[in-house]
Amino acid sequence: MSERSRLDAWLERSSRSLAQRTSRRGFLGALGQILVGTSLLPLLPIDRSSRAEAAEGPGKGHTDDPKSCEYWKYCAIDGFLCSCCGGTSSSCPPGTTPSPITWIGTCHNPADGRDYIVSYNDCCGKTSCGNCWCNRNEGEKPMYRLSLNNDVNWCMANDNPNYHCSVSVILGVAEK
Amino acid sequence: MQHAPMRPSGGRAMHARRLGAICMGLGLGTAALAAPPPLATEHLTVATLGPPSPHWAYVLDLATNNETDERLLVFDADRNEHLGQIDAGYYPSFAQSADGKTTAAVTTYWSRGWHGTRTDVVEFTDNTTLNYTHEILLPPKRMQGPPSAFGAAFSADQRFLYVANLTPAASFTVVDLGKKAVAGEIETDGCVLVIPSGPRRVSSLCESGRLLTVTLDETGHEASRALSKPFFDADKDPIFVQGTRNGSGVLFVSFLGDVYGVDLSGAEPKFAATWPLVTPAERGTWRPSGNQLVAYQPRRERLYVPMHVGGEGSHKVGGSEIWAFDAAKHQRLARWKFDPKRYGAIVAVQVTQDEKPLLFALTDTSALLVLDPDSGKIKHVEGKVGQSAWYLVNP
Repeated sequence: MSERSRLDAWLERSSRSLAQRTSRRGFLGALGQILVGTSLLPLLPIDRSSRAEAAEGPGKGHTDDPKSCEYWKYCAIDGFLCSCCGGTSSSCPPGTTPSPITWIGTCHNPADGRDYIVSYNDCCGKTSCGNCWCNRNEGEKPMYRLSLNNDVNWCMANDNPNYHCSVSVILGVAEK
Repeated sequence: MQHAPMRPSGGRAMHARRLGAICMGLGLGTAALAAPPPLATEHLTVATLGPPSPHWAYVLDLATNNETDERLLVFDADRNEHLGQIDAGYYPSFAQSADGKTTAAVTTYWSRGWHGTRTDVVEFTDNTTLNYTHEILLPPKRMQGPPSAFGAAFSADQRFLYVANLTPAASFTVVDLGKKAVAGEIETDGCVLVIPSGPRRVSSLCESGRLLTVTLDETGHEASRALSKPFFDADKDPIFVQGTRNGSGVLFVSFLGDVYGVDLSGAEPKFAATWPLVTPAERGTWRPSGNQLVAYQPRRERLYVPMHVGGEGSHKVGGSEIWAFDAAKHQRLARWKFDPKRYGAIVAVQVTQDEKPLLFALTDTSALLVLDPDSGKIKHVEGKVGQSAWYLVNP
């Protein structure tokens, strides 16, 4: 398990298994429990040093600006930054709806030296924001590994699946 | 003492009067002697197209700033002219008939533009006129994402259209094109996309590195299914889902630059030994990247891949070079450099399938490069094709 974390593997196995065994609504509910549960886990045993270094590299100097693509939390984000669309790095713009399903990643915060597990939720229900396009792909994987993929429309399960922008929400610390 | 400059005759006022008289005389003379005929009356018409050419490029404009309004832009690479447009809605997938005469766009609309009732639909366009011809309604669960060759696909005999679904549960819809109706939905156990083969087979990519192959009966319902052995490792070196047709099979490339050939001619897939795009010294440094990163010319067995220097996570940045390979001998034939500052990074490649092929490349600045596939020489640069040119749809 050189590149993947055990948590990633567990999340993927769990979500894949749930997706295969349950209805969409049931799957979403269960996945939500997984993600909420994740946020409560302290100091997870994860080795992402290579990825964290990659995230830190080219963006130095802008890693503390949530309206910059180089902001440390955006290491695998793909879309318009909600920070430039009326929201913040962890809140959706007014009138939009967060996606209940998401892809996940681990980003390094140069300010405190820690790696954090983040979920990249889309904000949905309005057409594309058009501001601050950002596409970074540390740890991103193709569509067959859905929970690590940022290509698909993660608003797919919303009542209104129009994609507006993306946020990055800290779920917990990833201990090396 | 300073002398005033000499004039031909008279003062400034006299000079002006003479000049005016000359001009007046010339004007009157021209009107009297050589008045051009008035322009002919015009009749408003609609431009017509010749038969579809293999040298037409169908460029998907993802319209990232307004994604409900994506479209295919049709460009004639022989005449270097924009021919027209096929509208394509929200995150569309495409399939084109083998004869090049029909484009099927699988897409989504809402009854109030950005909200209201969702309608998933496949829309058919006659490529000889660019007229919309008809549609078939789909279950509202089609996969929405950047395109690949396998978001939608015709069966070999074009009796069925297969449409990838993702809700996020994965499945595909079978559309009976003769009845113009949905035949059914096939669950795919978490495996994604639709890779057609044979008369009635559909394969999907699984995260375990296997292919799930479902065989349909003549009504479009499942007759059997089989899971292959793993042929790639999604942990160590995942393959891009943006593969390309290779006769009766498919070629994929991996993040680190290995080629995975899958032979789908038989009931069970066969997997060729992988071969590398890169030397051992280049591995992990030079990498394939982009939105559409494999183009294959079967007559010459040539493979084209945009390559760049980068690390983990750089698999979508686009190429600074296109590398050309002999896919039969597994040999690199050429490296062609394209200055990213001048053209942008190359994010998509496609090669025409005819006897005198052209190589197309799209850049991240929405330029279309028309290239000689033997020399890599630029034959034409169309500087701006749409808002965000992303992908080339060609049969």
